[in-house]
Amino acid sequence: MALQRLSFRLRQTVTHVRSLHTSGCGQQQAAVVVESEPEPLSVFRTQENDPACQSEKHMGQYYALPSPHIRTLFPHGLPGRFEQQLKTFNEACMMVRKPSLEVISYLKKTDFSKPSLRYLFYGLAGSGKTMSLCHTVHFCYTQGWLVLHIPDAHIWMKNCKELMPSSYNESRFDQPLQASEWLRNFRITNEPFLSKIKTKQRYVWTKREFTEEGSLLGQLVDQGISRVKSSSDVVGAVLKELRLQSGQPESDFRMAVAVDGVNALWGRSTIKKKDKSPVEPDELTLVYNLKKLLTKDWTGGAILTTLSQTGSLYTPKFAYLPQELLGKRGFDSMDPFIPVSVPNYSEKEFESCYLYLIDRHWLQHPQSRTEEGKKEIIFLSNRNPSMMDRICASL
Amino acid sequence: MAASISGLLKPWTPRVFLVRWSRYNPYYLEPEVRKEAYSKPEAELSAEEKEQRELKALRPIKAATNGVTSSVFSDPVLSKFVNMMMMDGNKILANEIISKTLENIKRKQVEKYHKAPEGKKEEIECNPYAIFHQALENCKPVVGLASIQKGGKFYQVPIPLSDDRRRHLAMKWIITECRENKHRRTLMYEKLSQELLAASVREGNVIKKKLEMHKMAEANRAYAHYRWT
Repeated sequence: MALQRLSFRLRQTVTHVRSLHTSGCGQQQAAVVVESEPEPLSVFRTQENDPACQSEKHMGQYYALPSPHIRTLFPHGLPGRFEQQLKTFNEACMMVRKPSLEVISYLKKTDFSKPSLRYLFYGLAGSGKTMSLCHTVHFCYTQGWLVLHIPDAHIWMKNCKELMPSSYNESRFDQPLQASEWLRNFRITNEPFLSKIKTKQRYVWTKREFTEEGSLLGQLVDQGISRVKSSSDVVGAVLKELRLQSGQPESDFRMAVAVDGVNALWGRSTIKKKDKSPVEPDELTLVYNLKKLLTKDWTGGAILTTLSQTGSLYTPKFAYLPQELLGKRGFDSMDPFIPVSVPNYSEKEFESCYLYLIDRHWLQHPQSRTEEGKKEIIFLSNRNPSMMDRICASL
Repeated sequence: MAASISGLLKPWTPRVFLVRWSRYNPYYLEPEVRKEAYSKPEAELSAEEKEQRELKALRPIKAATNGVTSSVFSDPVLSKFVNMMMMDGNKILANEIISKTLENIKRKQVEKYHKAPEGKKEEIECNPYAIFHQALENCKPVVGLASIQKGGKFYQVPIPLSDDRRRHLAMKWIITECRENKHRRTLMYEKLSQELLAASVREGNVIKKKLEMHKMAEANRAYAHYRWT
């Protein structure tokens, strides 16, 4: 009996939601219901799922990421809360926003014979920098570029369970666990390229193991995954090969280097050596080789980076500008770069997010669907995407 | 009684100003937190409400506690539950646990909703507040037991319970169950969400406890007349 009453209340909220949609489109309720049904979807959703074809008129709308793309492209790259959301809603919808559209338009017009440009997404905590990076990386993937995605550079700088002195250079340190995990994810993302690219140099790993010149990149990556001890050096070799080959006329691939939390590479780390002194970032093989890739020596691709204060070590909580987070050394190494600001939601974007959450049955509190509730959500979250997500989670 | 005392007392403010105490002079009035009460125009007020408004201009008002808000999302029953769950005055932690619980319940139900076929979608209740209230209703016992002494022995006598007492017992059972009968590694909000979802469909350990209480009351029905000497 209680269940019937509950389902009756649900039916009432469903009709209420439908009337909200039609009034949002500016149509009278007296209009034919059949005509207005497909319209509400277009206010916050778009059918254009290819990032290359999205333009300003799709701004603020959600597009669906195809699930095979997510499994290959983002084995580790999406933020944790977004992963939970895509499991709950059974679909992955991302909002088309101005910063990522801007960078995608620049990428479409790049001249690949010139040195690669560096793009930096910066903004307040929780304003959507990682999501913008993922959107741009999705565009690169759909265009067939080779994607080198480091989901969070901060994890290379803290909580290191195994630190080994490097076999290649005595003064540096290896991180076998992180390196092998990254190689595994790299292999999942870039399957087609592993059988096409050939190495240009001979690498010797131990007395009996070596990789011949002209062998496939896939073999190099497999070597790194199976022999965990030398995985950091394999990562260095892979990065070097890709950097050398990417601009050449005979290689037909473009490379996109995406690093999230790039300010970690010039910050401090909490990893300690045996004598309790802290490890400098340049003493880690992974960081050292990655920094070589972030220079403007190579052509034929682009470097997309994000600042991140949330995972960073020893930075003040409210710092978000590039100068503050990168520090002097970092800013000088990254200079010149193209800064792209990622602001909080505009009114239209907030509206779109609100309607999307109602459509997915995420905003369940009856008061949250009224004007008063909406004003309160705006006030509490200040239109910050992550704060809004956290507030609407318990409503 | 408070009205007669306040009639005798003259208007006064103490030298030491009481701000956060819970015992006030009965002269003080309760604070009105809801926004709707203030947005009513003059014409709609009835005679008593006009009187109340005039009184508010003259009499001092108690300080509002930290738990009451004028937010549209505030729920007095949920606030009471949060207060009961709070330990050592750590209301922030209690609030976080409750909001994570509600999110967890919502996530499980919305996931079920999106995976269900069209016909079954309407039966799935996704509103975590509705589930919480339903679970609380299902856990409230109808009769309780009181220990009454008669002729040197103590008998468990079935008695009717007031609404507040029933609500208190239901909340206390839920909280003790979730604190004690969980695996060491399960977090509180996870266990709470499991219990609330089970209670809303009349399953789970708390419902069992309520039914045991009812059985004891039924068993001791013979002593019911001990309520009155």
